[in-house]
Amino acid sequence: METLRIEGLTKTFGAGNLEVRALREINLSVSRGELAALLGPSGSGKTTLLLCVSLILEPTAGKIVFDGQTIFEKNRWSEVDIRRLRREKVGFIFQAHNLIPFLTARQNVLLPLNLVGIKGQKAENRVRELLEYMEIAHRADNLPALLSGGEQQRVAIARALANTPKLILADEPTAALDTARGAKVMELLKEVARENRTTVIVVTHDERMIKGFDQVYRLKDGCLNGDRERTV
Amino acid sequence: MDLAFQDLKLHKGRFIATMVGVGLLFGIVLAMNGIYRGVIYEGTALIKATGPDLWVVQRYRGGPFNEQSTLPEFFHYSVKSIPGVEKASPFIFYTVERMVDGQSRHFSIVGYDVFGGLGGPKKIVAGRPIQQAHYEMVANVKLGARIDDRIALGLHTYTVVGLTNDAVDPDGDPIVYLSLHDAQEVLYQQDNEEVRNQRERLLRTLSAQNWLTPDKAQKLLDPPGADTHIINAVLVKLKPGISRVQTARMVEKWLYLNAYGTKDEVGLVLKGRLTSMTHQLLLFRMLLLLISVVIISLVIYTFTMEKIRSIAVMKLIGAPDRVIVRLVIEQSLLLTVGAFLLGFVLISNTYSMFPRRILLLPADDAVTFAVAVAAGVLASILGLRHALKTQPAMALGG
Repeated sequence: METLRIEGLTKTFGAGNLEVRALREINLSVSRGELAALLGPSGSGKTTLLLCVSLILEPTAGKIVFDGQTIFEKNRWSEVDIRRLRREKVGFIFQAHNLIPFLTARQNVLLPLNLVGIKGQKAENRVRELLEYMEIAHRADNLPALLSGGEQQRVAIARALANTPKLILADEPTAALDTARGAKVMELLKEVARENRTTVIVVTHDERMIKGFDQVYRLKDGCLNGDRERTV
Repeated sequence: MDLAFQDLKLHKGRFIATMVGVGLLFGIVLAMNGIYRGVIYEGTALIKATGPDLWVVQRYRGGPFNEQSTLPEFFHYSVKSIPGVEKASPFIFYTVERMVDGQSRHFSIVGYDVFGGLGGPKKIVAGRPIQQAHYEMVANVKLGARIDDRIALGLHTYTVVGLTNDAVDPDGDPIVYLSLHDAQEVLYQQDNEEVRNQRERLLRTLSAQNWLTPDKAQKLLDPPGADTHIINAVLVKLKPGISRVQTARMVEKWLYLNAYGTKDEVGLVLKGRLTSMTHQLLLFRMLLLLISVVIISLVIYTFTMEKIRSIAVMKLIGAPDRVIVRLVIEQSLLLTVGAFLLGFVLISNTYSMFPRRILLLPADDAVTFAVAVAAGVLASILGLRHALKTQPAMALGG
């Protein structure tokens, strides 16, 4: 079953002589529980594609179908609907972890649950379960500043998983980690995709990290370079 | 989970320091409220405490507090003869600077008819009222005198027989009550040396005239001493059911004097001698409130700017605007309410140490609190505007 389908997605910045086409006629499709990698050198449009998929940036043209709903075609959804979509169905993992510095690890994972109205013991149980799954439960009451890079990234993954999203978008999740920790994070993402049947799209420029991915899309100058590669 | 509170926990040192600073400002605002009320209270306390039905003063004068009013003492008999007047008492009021207990003190003297007349002290907290025609006084405790103390004023020495604690003049200085004739003597009676000097000056002027012999000049000299039978106002008590307005008209028409009710007299003082001070205090209060708002606004803006990336992350993970609005406004309100309470506790425990009366009224405190809260919300608008404009894309990248 298809989770995400993108047809003819184009993103242009500026106008006239200053016009820059960051994405050109992108087509891709990722099914439920699949792991997809977006590979490409810096400036190739990987992050822009991720931002367009999550409607943080408005595409210039094209169509995005997510979980059976067309979320962008000619008119994008209202900001309220887009934010609801993001908090209910999409999880984000960033290169810089981006945990909220004044919340403890536990509270960072609790926040997305509270945002969808899950509170009290039910929320606490879910947070504990996720932190244990990420093997970070012993640091639950620490502020992000007191956690190592790897620990922060595991908390960020737990936060992304909190609402059992249908899609996880990860932007260079291993860029700030050493090779061993990066590989561990990738293993975790694979586990999440397999066990929770969550679709995971990972932006990376490190080919070593995509072993075991279902699909690999290569971007160059805003274009997908030929057909997708099916690695599995 | 309260995001605003969690954020403040991380910056509690800075938050508390800011709260103390703004709290001191709010404390000053509350003190200014109290000073404003105190000035009005003290400015009108003597008028209200005396509280006759009418104040009869010199024609076209707003006296006796706003400006000088001078009447011959016997005028109170004329006022007494107006139909409807039950009692008419002579009254004298003036400010002096004299030595009391070795120190120069600024205070006011009220002279009144001590044998059943109007205008005496309202409440005596120690001792007794004046019972003799001469050489007794009732003083405010603020003067520093005690019962049986003997205080020299002018030519005589007066014994303190009673104390009051709220009798103050419109400038907040203590009042000393004397019998009418003692008060007149203190003000007008010259000492012997002064009388001799005056007579000598006049004698020399007259002797210089060729047409006057020294014997004739000697005969033209005034008898020694000066006329002390001068008062500032006549206090009137009307018979029951008598119209104050009609009696005042009658006094003005037949005696060619001015007559004011106690309410009019209060109005004269408020519009006259107190007006510039009360306006100044009002302006100062508004300025301080404005400064408080600017400080809160800057602090909240700085707090918001420091967590702009966190706000972007929240937007990225789908936090609705109301979560972000609550985060900013709650911090602003916590700061405002906390600072106000601090200022309130501070001033409530220290107001008695101020040299002038600070009159704290619950209604003033409530209005200031409401204004402070509204100002706190207003102050957060700058930070809020920035927070709501933040793009979630700011959360991405290194």
